[in-house]
Amino acid sequence: MKNLVFYFQVHQPRRIRPYRRSEIGVKHDYFWDERNMEIMQRVAQKCYLPATRILLQEGIPASFSLSGVFLEQAAEYAPEVIDIFREYFRSGLGEIMSETYYHSLASIWNPREFREQVEEHRRLVQRLFGVNPVSFRNTELIYSDGISHEVRNMGFRNIVTEGTDEIIAAHTPNFAYRSVSGLKLLLRNYRMSDDIAFRFSNPNWNDFPLFADKYAGWVAASPGDVTNVFMDYETFGEHQWKETGIFQFLKSLPHELSSRGVEITTVEKAASENSDHGTVSVENPISWADTDRNLNAWLGNAMQNDAFNAMKTVYDTDAKTWRLLQTSDHIYYMSVRNFADQDVHSYFNPYLSPYLAFIYYMAILDDLKNGRV
Amino acid sequence: MKIAVIGWELPPAFSGGLGVHTINLFGRLAAIMNIDVYVPAMKRLGRNYPFNVVPVRLQRGVIGNPYEIEGFPDFREAVDDYNLRVFERFDPHGVSLVHCHDWITFRAGEMIREKYGIPLVVTFHSTERDRSGNFNPQADIMSLEKEGAKAADRIIAVSKFTRDEIIRDYGADPDKITVVHNGVDNEHYTMRPRTYEPTKRVLYLGRVTTQKGPRFFMEAAELVSQRMPDARFVVAGTGDQYNEVRRLASELGISGKTDFTGFVSFRKSVDIYRSSDVFVLPAVSEPFGMTVIESMILGTPAIISKTTGVGEALRNVLRVDYWDTELIADYVESMLMFRSMRRIMGTMGQQEASRFTWEKAALDTMGVYLSI
Repeated sequence: MKNLVFYFQVHQPRRIRPYRRSEIGVKHDYFWDERNMEIMQRVAQKCYLPATRILLQEGIPASFSLSGVFLEQAAEYAPEVIDIFREYFRSGLGEIMSETYYHSLASIWNPREFREQVEEHRRLVQRLFGVNPVSFRNTELIYSDGISHEVRNMGFRNIVTEGTDEIIAAHTPNFAYRSVSGLKLLLRNYRMSDDIAFRFSNPNWNDFPLFADKYAGWVAASPGDVTNVFMDYETFGEHQWKETGIFQFLKSLPHELSSRGVEITTVEKAASENSDHGTVSVENPISWADTDRNLNAWLGNAMQNDAFNAMKTVYDTDAKTWRLLQTSDHIYYMSVRNFADQDVHSYFNPYLSPYLAFIYYMAILDDLKNGRV
Repeated sequence: MKIAVIGWELPPAFSGGLGVHTINLFGRLAAIMNIDVYVPAMKRLGRNYPFNVVPVRLQRGVIGNPYEIEGFPDFREAVDDYNLRVFERFDPHGVSLVHCHDWITFRAGEMIREKYGIPLVVTFHSTERDRSGNFNPQADIMSLEKEGAKAADRIIAVSKFTRDEIIRDYGADPDKITVVHNGVDNEHYTMRPRTYEPTKRVLYLGRVTTQKGPRFFMEAAELVSQRMPDARFVVAGTGDQYNEVRRLASELGISGKTDFTGFVSFRKSVDIYRSSDVFVLPAVSEPFGMTVIESMILGTPAIISKTTGVGEALRNVLRVDYWDTELIADYVESMLMFRSMRRIMGTMGQQEASRFTWEKAALDTMGVYLSI
């Protein structure tokens, strides 16, 4: 039987507040609590609660990555979100995947830090949901052979990443593969994923409006064993508003798929039920971000590299704060990449300016390093 | 199509922003239409212009003979005389529309419109509120601006900021206003790439008048200087606040770190921009802000007030409230500290500013003409 694999990323950073250099040595609160609360509560109402209710009602399986910084903020600002996820995972429909607690870039520079953050996430997931994840997804699907070895050594069985153009030139994303480290590897089908995540409400798109029957038809007609549909969970109700019909689409999908012989499943089940079609090797890090699908969204300019390197040097300060500052969103906001991508960056950027994101972050690092004597 | 432009000055006789604008914009439009530009018959008017120049002889409020004016001791008197003389001298033959620039030329356009029924376009390069720095605007000038806005068939504003002022202060019909941003001559600025090695120089460049907020620059400079003793400040330009600002620098104890250059030529200003780490324009009310584009196109990142019109169309600048000297200092300090930010903002800004071309301004202006 053919499978459609749903994997949803759920993440909200602890955004830093507009922090002035004149506050260095005076004020040591860095995070934008009111803004973070407001966003969490808004997205809970628009997406997390209604979307998860639909998954429960319609019995839709999915794999989730819930970052630690998301979970701690949800517990603080919108505890009903934790409750509904708990109900969903208890129902047996869902899989919780592992990742770094801080949605960080630790995997690309510090293996020990990477392991500790994954372990911290494991403890939280165990405490909140009583689950030990077996599948891993790294921050924004950042992946390389080296990272897959680290993940394998931590005892995971499965991993997911982007089906980049380079990979899919030789390997359709519609089969399961092996990483060089021996993990089961699923590749995101970016076309089928972006049809929902980006194009769903675009009136200039040839296939607009997209209804579940049409989409299910595409899935049924596509070659291979699996269609890996991976995206931000916020697609449902937040990026694509309720008014676009996205919830109706989600509700209708299971029936439309099953009537065409396609079953929705999780990463874990798809990985165990589908045999691999060979090994895929990825030497340099890839990701699902921007059009480049590499690390440029975070380390694409001199400011981002400055900020990233400066962050590394404050490891001996307050550990929790240091790790919260490792959340990749902080340097993602500093991106000034090509204008197509800058629109996506601006959409998520709470400061609307890559330069302000840089200024605030650097001032905070300065205070963390020198200001707290 | 024939256009009659009622201007006030042309380079090289005086070189205010209006003259530069006139020659750049109508120089380009003259390639596709007939253009008469009316100006006072100044001494040192050039001989070769890309359009037909109609010198208008003034008698009142001027120094020099009627054929070659050297200055305007009584500016208002000269303005009134000019508008009357343009009206008398005006040749309506074949003219499709009259295009006036700022309150100093509005009256002539209105009279011509009334007498000959020729449609009127007026451009607001600034408003009396801007020029007074929000401080004691002159009521009679405001009423000239209001009448011009009312009589005109179409209004061009140099920014959305100015457009909003015209609507708010003069009750102008929003539907007849179009925003046309100024352009900049790219060819003056093609130079070797910058290294963005620190110079620690913080630049104010422009007229030293209340409108441009030089005192906020000085107050921010003093805050920067406390935290970064090696920072230096440059005030380039002259104006009625020049002595006041020098006095303020000495009161704040930073005259030793501040270079007052006085008037700078265009050529000199290029060097000054390029040798500065950051340009600051804390204008109280600036309809466009040509200096922002100049600075950016030369690769120098800019910190500008939210009340600077061009900011509405720019991403690669930092924007502040002009009175928030703490924040200006904060941004200046960051700019001086981080070469990476100077480099990214400088190079991105350069690309962004080079989109402001006179060709685009001419096309947009043409669009306004065709809409009548």
